[in-house]
Amino acid sequence: MLPALRRCRPGPVPLPALAAALRPGPVPGLCPGWSPRAVPARGRKTRHDPPAKSKAARVKLPPPVDPEELLVVLERYRQHRLVLSALRYRHGPGMGTGLWGRAEFRAEVLQRKQEERLAAAGSVEEQEEHRRLMAWNDEENARQQARREERVRREEEEQKRRKLEIAEKQARKMEAFQEEKEKEVLQLQEEAKNFITPENLEARIEECLDNPRNYNFAIDKDGRIVKRTVLS
Amino acid sequence: MPMKGRFPVRRTLQYLSQGDVVFKSSVKVMTVNYNTAGELSEGARKFVFFNIPQIQYKNPWVQIMLFRNMTPSPFLRFYLDSGEQVLVDVEDKTNKEITEHIKKILGKSKEMLEKEERERKKLSHPATFGPKKYHLRECMCEIEGQVPCPAFVPLPKEMRGKYKAAMKNEA
Repeated sequence: MLPALRRCRPGPVPLPALAAALRPGPVPGLCPGWSPRAVPARGRKTRHDPPAKSKAARVKLPPPVDPEELLVVLERYRQHRLVLSALRYRHGPGMGTGLWGRAEFRAEVLQRKQEERLAAAGSVEEQEEHRRLMAWNDEENARQQARREERVRREEEEQKRRKLEIAEKQARKMEAFQEEKEKEVLQLQEEAKNFITPENLEARIEECLDNPRNYNFAIDKDGRIVKRTVLS
Repeated sequence: MPMKGRFPVRRTLQYLSQGDVVFKSSVKVMTVNYNTAGELSEGARKFVFFNIPQIQYKNPWVQIMLFRNMTPSPFLRFYLDSGEQVLVDVEDKTNKEITEHIKKILGKSKEMLEKEERERKKLSHPATFGPKKYHLRECMCEIEGQVPCPAFVPLPKEMRGKYKAAMKNEA
């Protein structure tokens, strides 16, 4: 007999009659059935806690099986698997599920792969488009190059101009400096005419003695001379 | 939790999904050479700072490499799977111009993106329900017009097995 059915055979089970009386179940008499009270549910205890003493005599039984239903279902599965394995054997490793889970044959799978490969490689138009875009990119790069050269050229000119300016300014400064120095020299020459040398010492002394000068005056903020004391 | 970085908005999903550059499947590597100083590299710097996260988000399988201060002028280089290299000069360009440029030469067009979106939608049926990974809704009770979930709205008596069994026992 099938193992599933064998498991359900009434053996040394504590409540076979009671269970049978409670629920007639799918198969009256043959299956012990289960009582709603013995349904396992993990509430307070973890799986590592020991079961209670009251459950020492508890016998866990698998769910009941209807033998007729079981036979029918097993037969159906056997036929289904037979057919499918035959298909797989016949059509080789091209079996797969396509859209919506439909099983498809090798020819379809190969066709699909070819289409994908073609699409990935790119059709003629795509390649053409790609070449056009690359050409446009090269043009853009060339334009950028032109702009860059223009900019570099302008910068060089700018720098040259600046250098020239600086040189000019420097030259101008030097000139101004030179002029200043020359003016000083000339002024000195002018003053040198009034110097007292050993030659005209006597003459100058005579001159000073002849022209006495009176410094006994005050001067206010506006520069006017104030003479209060009598000139002597 | 504090925000990280100078512009934390770059880390938001909304910002990242706003990137509109989706590369063609032939682009494998993108290399950016730029300088950390200099007026001419400003656009490239902004591009690296603001737009590259968006691009990487939209193209997770493209390798992006950044090289700093190796060349006097900034440029981008794309390596396609056919071995072709595409050079893009980005000196003196703003980051917006750069994105427009690469979108034009190597990005998927809007029609192509829409077509792909439609193909993807065809694979899944929106009316089915099941695990969240494959379907939009998990239970029949979530669908509009169906009986609401008894966890939130109790079923009327007539639909409950308890009532029906009681009625059957009575009769």
